[in-house]
Amino acid sequence: MISYLLRRILVSLLVLIGISIVIFVMLHLISDSPGRVVLGPQASAAAVEAFNRENGYDRPLFVQYADYVVQLLHGDLGRSYKLNEEVTVLFAQNAGRSAVLSLSGLVLALLIAIPLGILQAVRRNSVVDRAATGVAYLLYATPSFLVALLLIALLSQLVPLFPAEASQSTSPWVVFTDPRAMALPLITLALTNVVVFSQYQRSAALEQLGMDYIKVARAKGAPERIVLLRHLLRNACIPLITLVGVMIPTLLAGNLIVESVFNYPGLGLLFLNSLHREDYPVLLAYTLIGGALTVLGNLLADLVVARADRRIELSR
Amino acid sequence: MLTIRDLSVQIRTGDRIVRPISGVDLDLARGETLGIVGETGSGKSMTGLAIMGMLPAGSEITNGSIRFDGEELVGRDPRAYRSLRGRRISMVFQDSLTALNPTRRIGDQVAEPLLLHGLAHRAEALRRAEEMLALVGIPRPSERMRDYPHQLSGGMRQRVMIAMALIAEPDLLIADEPTTALDVTIQAEILELLGRLKEQLGMAMILVTHDMGVVARHADRVGVMYAGRLVETGPTRALFRRTRHRYTRALLDSIPSLEQDRGVELFSIPGSPPDPAETVPGCRFAPRCAAATDRCRAERPPLEGEGGHVFACWNPVADAPPVLPGRALPAAPVVETSSEPRLEVVDLVQEHPVSGWAPKGRRRTVKAVSGVSFTVQAGETLGLVGESGCGKSSLGRMLVAMDRPTAGEVRLEGAKVSGVGRRGLGARRARLQMMFQDSGAALDPKMTIGTILREPLAIQGIGTTAERTERAIALLDGVGLGPSILERYPHELSGGQRQRIGLARALALDPDVLVADEPVSALDVSIRSQVLNLMRTQQRERGLSSVVISHDLSVIRYLSDRVGVMYLGKIVEVGATDEVYERPAHPYTAGLLAAVPIADPDAPPLDAAERVRGELPSPLDPPSGCRFRTRCPLATELCATVEPALEAVGDAHDVACHFPLQPKAQAPADASAPGARPGETEAAA
Repeated sequence: MISYLLRRILVSLLVLIGISIVIFVMLHLISDSPGRVVLGPQASAAAVEAFNRENGYDRPLFVQYADYVVQLLHGDLGRSYKLNEEVTVLFAQNAGRSAVLSLSGLVLALLIAIPLGILQAVRRNSVVDRAATGVAYLLYATPSFLVALLLIALLSQLVPLFPAEASQSTSPWVVFTDPRAMALPLITLALTNVVVFSQYQRSAALEQLGMDYIKVARAKGAPERIVLLRHLLRNACIPLITLVGVMIPTLLAGNLIVESVFNYPGLGLLFLNSLHREDYPVLLAYTLIGGALTVLGNLLADLVVARADRRIELSR
Repeated sequence: MLTIRDLSVQIRTGDRIVRPISGVDLDLARGETLGIVGETGSGKSMTGLAIMGMLPAGSEITNGSIRFDGEELVGRDPRAYRSLRGRRISMVFQDSLTALNPTRRIGDQVAEPLLLHGLAHRAEALRRAEEMLALVGIPRPSERMRDYPHQLSGGMRQRVMIAMALIAEPDLLIADEPTTALDVTIQAEILELLGRLKEQLGMAMILVTHDMGVVARHADRVGVMYAGRLVETGPTRALFRRTRHRYTRALLDSIPSLEQDRGVELFSIPGSPPDPAETVPGCRFAPRCAAATDRCRAERPPLEGEGGHVFACWNPVADAPPVLPGRALPAAPVVETSSEPRLEVVDLVQEHPVSGWAPKGRRRTVKAVSGVSFTVQAGETLGLVGESGCGKSSLGRMLVAMDRPTAGEVRLEGAKVSGVGRRGLGARRARLQMMFQDSGAALDPKMTIGTILREPLAIQGIGTTAERTERAIALLDGVGLGPSILERYPHELSGGQRQRIGLARALALDPDVLVADEPVSALDVSIRSQVLNLMRTQQRERGLSSVVISHDLSVIRYLSDRVGVMYLGKIVEVGATDEVYERPAHPYTAGLLAAVPIADPDAPPLDAAERVRGELPSPLDPPSGCRFRTRCPLATELCATVEPALEAVGDAHDVACHFPLQPKAQAPADASAPGARPGETEAAA
């Protein structure tokens, strides 16, 4: 177990180094002169050159990269060109709010998708199943910003139930305890995930329902409720765990749209604004964190799956 | 105790109405074992499920009654039905990896019925579960309680399932193919266990199976089902001795027995079972019955008879049935032993590392095949028999160069085929062909039969498309199928037809060696004999050398000229078929032969001395010395230290055993290679 973890962490580090090199090189190919970006198009060539020399941007790329890695090892993600602030500080300000949105959205999606998927599997090809599948495909094909806009139009404009703008509080706790303000972003996020999760859960549950142990459980005299909760649920959720692990970084990206539509100051909005401002250190850090989350999500999923299903050995 | 009258079930899928059971009558008394025998789709399992009130979704009982202990079960309230299930009526299913919940502990699963029915509190239930595990013969039950199903072998899982079904001490146990997935030696133990527990708990049992041999020994009465109807039922002896129904008779005749005359074709029932969606006015067996008359086709025969032996047949078999002489097979090709062997296997080893990462030196390997040598002459068929996990399939894949051996060689007419690169293998590849067990999976579902049969020719660049089609038609003719099948897809064919296509495809390139891995294991008895006859005819007509791999001793006996018995990666006995079957020299061979269920209620019971007990050791670390010693009744210390070599016990009969059941032949003058066959001496040199 320990050796497995060490090995996985080592591999993860290698992956992260790979990701960082690719992103670093790509960003520098797009903009090889940060001085021009920072000082603006009006600045003189000499000033730009002086800025680049001062900040070491004129050195060879690999030296700059090595420098960046040393910075990273010190927990320093660089400094924003435009906000005159350390990237770490910017992230610290925004990460909590994003986490609240993402995690509550994820939990909400799972709470809906798991029972819905199982219900669809149990009532396979019924009206409920077909309707749910139809809605799922429709939503799946709809971009999340459109879902968000429709929700605003319906639940904020037409029937003024919820505010169209998300909570602006800087405290994650305040955000968390203000469900009314967060309702629309959460519903948007949950809906887009539920359609994926529930279809996945449906097919996993269908597969498990065909297994003999379900028949055996019924032959023992178990009522359907016990058959589903005690025998089916756990086995049918195992494939979903892996999916959720893979989806964790996607949630971050999903936030990007939701945060901008609802003007919610989180990491996604920060990324989007930095994109407009050509604020490369922030973009680089955001992408790196996305990579780290991908690696972490996969590792977590593997650990949880191995815990839930003893047939899977972690030594692989 | 259980009375079923005129039971009919129908399943509706869309517009199609299927009647898996129609008008079945059954009676079962306390303490009795009723065997229900039938092929796939006969409705035997459906009958069991109907009694449990667990018919699959979409199906319903349309008619009839099921009375259990005086109570009507048909139309019973679901809640009241549930209180019977697992408490008064239990069911044991065929062992499959999925029959136990993979994520729950054994102990919890076994104890569950007691908790569900409120018969005990948790601690008490777990205590009784442990007792039950001990009762069904699971060693160290307290440790097994916390195990998960995948940690147990198939035989042990089946014992767990039995423990689970019996923990609430039911009055009726329905065992649906309880031993079909198990090896013969384990099967014998499980069936005896069921019989013993039945006595001990004083319950009644319904044994649902496709195997006449299983019911002959283990049932008091037998019901034979065909296409949803009960065609004959009676006391076991009466049914086997004075078989009346034409189908029962045909079924019994088409089982290849261990005494079968191998020179003639097996009896086989023509055609295949009817489509369950069709309704016919007469006897459902009439289209396949040699004795069918117009009356059989027009009028449904009632179940009639006396002394509890009833049958539904207008032209019942007379008391002394004429012994039908089978058609003689083509003469066996002359096996030339003097020339170079067609296929030669020398010290073949296959070891593959256990998936996972471990420091070098501590890496564990599965020893699938551990030094196997044999030769197959031109026109000869070698049968390889052994239980699951003995390495016979791994060996088969190496023979046709699908897998590389870790060590050793496979030679085709002297030229190496193993470990040779794809290019080096070239045309030799085409001369080695394989026929697979599950042709449903071995035929591409998106290809027509024509494409499937033309493909080997196309890959080898033989002929034009028209010529290939011609060849495909000839191949189909050879396996008894018409050209109309060319445009059809695999899923449109029956299992027997698909297996014929599998054979035809393997023969498409006119190979020199055919390796058939479990060629008929997936087929029903009545279809099985058709395919066996076909294979035997093709072998003989083409002078094909073949290697047939199977766990079924009677199949191997019918198809092979010589037999090799495998145990845990080694050949423990090899010799001429009749020699090995009549005078087995290895205790394992003798044990296997003794464990084969014989379709004769008067067959002598198993001799305790011959029985192979226990479980197959792990191929990760096989026992020292003789690998069979852990299960051998004759093992001594010598067996644990010295590995026995293959030595001759007769003319062309070798055994690897320190204490063979047959006297050893005089040691030949050349002591360096005792008992080796000519080919092997050469290889050793």
